Amino acid sequence: MSAAESPSSVRKVVVHLRATGDAPILKQSKFKIAGTDKFAKVIDFLRRQLHRESLFVYVNSAFSPNPDELVIDLFNNFGFDGKLVVNYACSMAWG
Amino acid sequence: MPISDSTNQNVFTLIPFNPRICNWRGMDLKGAVKDIIPWDGTLSSSDFSLSAHTFSEKWKRFNHSFPPWQWILCPKHHLVASSHMVEGYLSLENVCHIKSSEEKEESNTSLTQKEESNISQGEESLDHATLVCSEHEVNHYDFHIIYSASYRVPVLYFRSYHSDGQLLPFNNEIEKDLPGHTAKLRSESKWTFMTQEEHPYLKRPWYKLHPCGTSDWMKLLFGGDLSLNKNSFIIEQYLVSWFSVIGQVVGLKIPLEMVDTVVSNNS
Repeated sequence: MSAAESPSSVRKVVVHLRATGDAPILKQSKFKIAGTDKFAKVIDFLRRQLHRESLFVYVNSAFSPNPDELVIDLFNNFGFDGKLVVNYACSMAWG
Repeated sequence: MPISDSTNQNVFTLIPFNPRICNWRGMDLKGAVKDIIPWDGTLSSSDFSLSAHTFSEKWKRFNHSFPPWQWILCPKHHLVASSHMVEGYLSLENVCHIKSSEEKEESNTSLTQKEESNISQGEESLDHATLVCSEHEVNHYDFHIIYSASYRVPVLYFRSYHSDGQLLPFNNEIEKDLPGHTAKLRSESKWTFMTQEEHPYLKRPWYKLHPCGTSDWMKLLFGGDLSLNKNSFIIEQYLVSWFSVIGQVVGLKIPLEMVDTVVSNNS
């Protein structure tokens, strides 16, 4: 870790990725991400891992976060037991 | 009398039980029934207006940087007068959108900051919202949330126009305003996803997001959390949850507080 990243300024958030519906389960379902990152980073990570373009990503209170939201804000509002649970499904039918 | 909760009546009729024996522990039964018959992700028309009012109340409370959603009363349909229960729809009109993408970024961040400062300081936010519309060419958007009796879900209708009132075409105009991921989705399945149709009440061509997948993903959205006390909770929360998904397609964001308070009120 570089000296510029002081632990107090960059708070890490544990994100737990949980497959729902017919989505494949990830080998590593928990990982840490900087709280200052946007939720878009979590979505992009899932896209790369699952090789799917259209994903349905939502948190555990019946809500799909905007990609612009900061991870730390989501954690503060919806985090539980020290982590942010993010559900994902592959079959996103728009129409 | 058995439980008088109107939202559960149809469910209860499917279960054979003797109300004289069971009604004293109705709450337990409610949970049991829920397990047997999974919720299908749809809303009744009266639930829609209930949920719509909760949604617009929360929007007004936590989203000062936007105008409020108005409940528009409207006459019943001529053709289906007897069965059509909904007496209105939600309307959010004259939302400004600047054309250049850089400006869009800026306005987004300023709106976010606004939301935060509003919690402590209250009003004074409207000036910032109009600042966005300054000297750039601005597209105006109208959004309506209308209940679909055939799909039994809310549907988002929208249209866009210039300051002089001229309606914008989808190609080269509206699609440029939509967030990038929407454009991508749309290019993959063009008119199955967003279509131009007659507004059910105004009888003019509006764009709408096609609702045939809505009940499926709404079911998914609520199914993830088994700890929720279903039914009345779902009905209240429905439009907020629904809009957290749909709003992203057209670039409208709901403040986290709108979701958060629902959860804390019920836990």
